Amino acid sequence: MDIINAIIDNTILNPTVQIWMSVLFTLMMLSFLFKDNPLYKLGENTFLGISLGYGWVKLWEITIVPFLFRPMKDAYLDFQPYDLTLIFWMLMGCTMFFRFSRTKAWVANYYFAFVFAYAAGYEIPVQVQQLFIQGSNMMQPLFEQPTFFEISKWFVIIFGTFSALMYFFFSKPHKGVLGKTARVGILILMINFGASFGATVMGRIALFIGRAQVLAANYQASLVLSIMIIIFLFIYFKFYHKEPGLDDEQMH
Amino acid sequence: MEKFIQILKNLDRRWIFLLIFLACIIPFWVPQLFDQKFSTSKETQRVYDIINSLEEGDAVFIDWAFDPTLQAELLPMVEQTIKQCFDRKLRVFIYYPYLTGISLGENLVEEIKKEAHYKDLQSGVDYIHLGYLPIGIDMMVFSMYSDFKSTFGKEGKIFKGIKTFADIKYMMSFAGSAHPELYLLLQRRFGFRMGAGVTAVTGPDFIPYLQTGQLDGMLFGLKGAAEYENLRISKGAEKEKNHRANAGMASLTLSHLVMFLFIGLGNLVYFYERKYKKSN
Repeated sequence: MDIINAIIDNTILNPTVQIWMSVLFTLMMLSFLFKDNPLYKLGENTFLGISLGYGWVKLWEITIVPFLFRPMKDAYLDFQPYDLTLIFWMLMGCTMFFRFSRTKAWVANYYFAFVFAYAAGYEIPVQVQQLFIQGSNMMQPLFEQPTFFEISKWFVIIFGTFSALMYFFFSKPHKGVLGKTARVGILILMINFGASFGATVMGRIALFIGRAQVLAANYQASLVLSIMIIIFLFIYFKFYHKEPGLDDEQMH
Repeated sequence: MEKFIQILKNLDRRWIFLLIFLACIIPFWVPQLFDQKFSTSKETQRVYDIINSLEEGDAVFIDWAFDPTLQAELLPMVEQTIKQCFDRKLRVFIYYPYLTGISLGENLVEEIKKEAHYKDLQSGVDYIHLGYLPIGIDMMVFSMYSDFKSTFGKEGKIFKGIKTFADIKYMMSFAGSAHPELYLLLQRRFGFRMGAGVTAVTGPDFIPYLQTGQLDGMLFGLKGAAEYENLRISKGAEKEKNHRANAGMASLTLSHLVMFLFIGLGNLVYFYERKYKKSN
């Protein structure tokens, strides 16, 4: 066991190896931007495997053992009446396994009934409350707003919402006043989509910047591994990769 | 002109990827070329002011609802929030609603403790990792309002005087999803104050909560994190140890300039072709 621990300490847990692995996997995933290739597939599957494995171990350690096995063991050693609730909910949870059977799948519905009843009972009142908070905030004396910007904001919200709704009103042809309102509506929608798209692009670039920071900080590893990946891709696409022919494409 | 338009039309998208890649990575090698200044938004300022106004010993609850996939945007802002809390000698409770965020949070606090200024901080006294609970946020909030300490099954001096969640002075939820809304749903009932740190993608969804005052303040994406860093630096924090987000801002700006360029070129091709087709 000590030998295994020593090997793990000097390989996977070694900080230098960790940095090189981080750079290698970043570059492997980025290689997809050139073309789909085995290195990308390896990186993708390694990521999925590790995420699931890590998630399962943590779930076992933090959830199943302390909240199910340990209380069950205590109940077995010293049974108390309130332990019945634990047994009841464990059995209810186990009914989920009946989903694997076609004829007995209905048994799991009892569990789902509790889940949906709880969700509806909890969610509906608080969501309605939330709508009232948002709605009542809109209903404020307009000309008591502190700045011109605050006043103009409410006009944009009210007329913007109205004109955007008119764009989806198809019971009358979009001509005259209705047509012009619908035109304003589509402009409002486009501004909204543009703002969301801009924020999304900024977010995605920010994610990449995180990886770029790692590559830039470890430029030696980045340079060596980039050259190795480029050589691999060159050999793979030159000698091993077969482009799908016309017949193959037609078949799909 | 025709030849130039043809080159642009047939340009392989991989050249654009390469340019974006270079635009992101070059500023890290020559940061002095891209030094920039930007204003602080009032949402960021509000978060800073609220935490600054808390008194020594007050408790702050950090909801760490993100994993390593979102660390580029959210880690710098949570780092600055925690550091500001430590500077103000506030007690910090860190809760992880996702399993995969726990080690990230523990590593960050250990990293912060390596700085000379924070080396005396003790787990269970100045801060505590509350861990993960396999229950929904709604049930957790109800439980915290019943008995804060036993909800998490943790012990420590840090819990002194904190019976329920009502004794927590402020909470910040850091997430890349609609997660903070789960707290907002129960805010009316319990009346706690909260702010949020969100990614640029989800940020626009939270603007209505700022307008209603349900959120006191908000840190929005990498820029929000950089603003927060600048606020702390302007009050005396060391620039070298608090520039994680600022380091990325130059890359963000340069990559956006590359995108503007290509959007402009794309429009040029479109309008040129339309004009050319009309004239024929």
